[in-house]
Amino acid sequence: VRWQLCPPQRPLQASAVLRRVSDEHKKEPLASSSQQQFNSQPADHQPEQEPQGPDPSYTGQDGQESEDYESEEQLQHRILTAALEFVPEHGWTAEAIAEGAKTLGLSAAAAGMFQSDGSQLILHFVSQCNTKLSELLEHEQKLVQQGEAEKKPTDQFLRDAVEARLRMVIPYIEKWPQALSILLLPHNIPSSLSLLSSMIDDIWHYAGDQSTDINWYTRRAVLTGIYNTTELVMMQDSSPDFEDTWRFLENRVADAMKMGDTANQV
Amino acid sequence: VGAELPLSLSLSRCRGSLRGFADGPQTHFGFQRVTEEERREKINQVFDSVAKKYDVMNDSMTLGIHRLWKDALVRKMNPSPGTLLLDVAGGTGDIAFRFINYVRSVRERQLQQRLKHHQNLSWQEIAESYQEDKSPLGGSQVVVCDINKEMLNIGKEKAQNLGYSEGLSWVLGNAEELPFDDDKFDVYTIAFGIRNVTRMDLALQEAYRVLKPGGRFLCLEFSRVTNPLLSRLYDLYSFQVIPVLGQVIAGDWKAYQYLVESIRRFPPQEELKAIIEDAGFFKVDYQNLSSGIVAIHSGFKP
Repeated sequence: VRWQLCPPQRPLQASAVLRRVSDEHKKEPLASSSQQQFNSQPADHQPEQEPQGPDPSYTGQDGQESEDYESEEQLQHRILTAALEFVPEHGWTAEAIAEGAKTLGLSAAAAGMFQSDGSQLILHFVSQCNTKLSELLEHEQKLVQQGEAEKKPTDQFLRDAVEARLRMVIPYIEKWPQALSILLLPHNIPSSLSLLSSMIDDIWHYAGDQSTDINWYTRRAVLTGIYNTTELVMMQDSSPDFEDTWRFLENRVADAMKMGDTANQV
Repeated sequence: VGAELPLSLSLSRCRGSLRGFADGPQTHFGFQRVTEEERREKINQVFDSVAKKYDVMNDSMTLGIHRLWKDALVRKMNPSPGTLLLDVAGGTGDIAFRFINYVRSVRERQLQQRLKHHQNLSWQEIAESYQEDKSPLGGSQVVVCDINKEMLNIGKEKAQNLGYSEGLSWVLGNAEELPFDDDKFDVYTIAFGIRNVTRMDLALQEAYRVLKPGGRFLCLEFSRVTNPLLSRLYDLYSFQVIPVLGQVIAGDWKAYQYLVESIRRFPPQEELKAIIEDAGFFKVDYQNLSSGIVAIHSGFKP
């Protein structure tokens, strides 16, 4: 590799002045656009902050937003989404993020933006899956409201929702146990728990749960238990298309329904 | 008396500014006021004189802790094989050597993983893998750039003695005007050097220029101590012990007086963060080491 010893084409002072002038030009439109951005930021900030988790160092707030550049969060989103492609090969690690950054034309050093244990990548994936699940459930609900589909009984609904959500993990299933173990690390538990609980809440909401008493808690606790155990069963399931897992899921949901009925009778 | 004082002060300020106008923009050298040219000259002299004993002095002043700080910097960088590093003000090569060690060990682990994976490959794929790049550094390179020739010479000697040859280059250059093309490097580091740069804004602009998009800027530097008790002890140690050590070990009291004064003059963590953001970097954050005696600032080029 040869380093070109090229003296700057223009004298340094002139280039510095030019840069300063262009910066000033940039600053005026910036002032107005950053005002608007700032107003719309808070709406974006909330769902973004949660997956980030507590940070030991001090992070800047809005970062540089200039010209047609996207914000920090959008760039990080793009890098993480690109990195998912490399997960089956490298696992949930900084290497996968570095490869993802390279496909976007960025230096591999951009992976330094994220924590080195890959937890942000996993949280990004989980929140993406949850969003997909919500969209799916909302779409189904719309179909029912329009009369194009029949309303499913609760146990069928729960089974289908959990199955749909777990199927999203299948492309990454080989590295998923690693992901689960990272999500259980103490500093990741707040974020992973909040994502899990909001997903379960979503499922019950679309299932039509309107309870306002202790049932609200018990239903969510039970479904969380079913989801977690089914996920673990899926990890070591080798049957074709995970038939055993879905049968396990069916049985658990049936158990839960039976317990609910007995509780009501008593 | 109260009315006279402000008048005399403003008169001397006028005189000072007139003098400054004749000689060039004023700046500081430690606690003295000097012009920018004078500052560059003086700093050059400082490093010319301390170059031979630089490493020994580092060890004795910081009781060897500077090694841990530099280790933390490279760990934070977490370089992968194939990374191009520019180490500015890298003089005696401490960061460069650590970078090479780190990349070498990551590369070894990578190659081992590949070997394990080999157990499942077909003969065709194994034959293809022999064509692959198996170099111990995986294409990583570090360029050490320093403005002072003496420091570079010491660095080159050290590299020879320790056996570092591959992936290492030494370039004489000024941080305010780097002799490199745009968008070249993955990582730019400056460890305990940015304090000595006369025009920090120019150096940061140059850093921004030579980094690839997505590239990382890392700066390891003395900073403001957060704990007030520790701050008192630190001040005591800095002003009473360090110049004495400088005289005894390196034979140069003034150079180490300059060192401690320049540390006090340097902007604290938040201010430096703002300056880095002004240069165009985003996602700028800092990490305090040893309760703020030293801080690592990191930023990315969008």
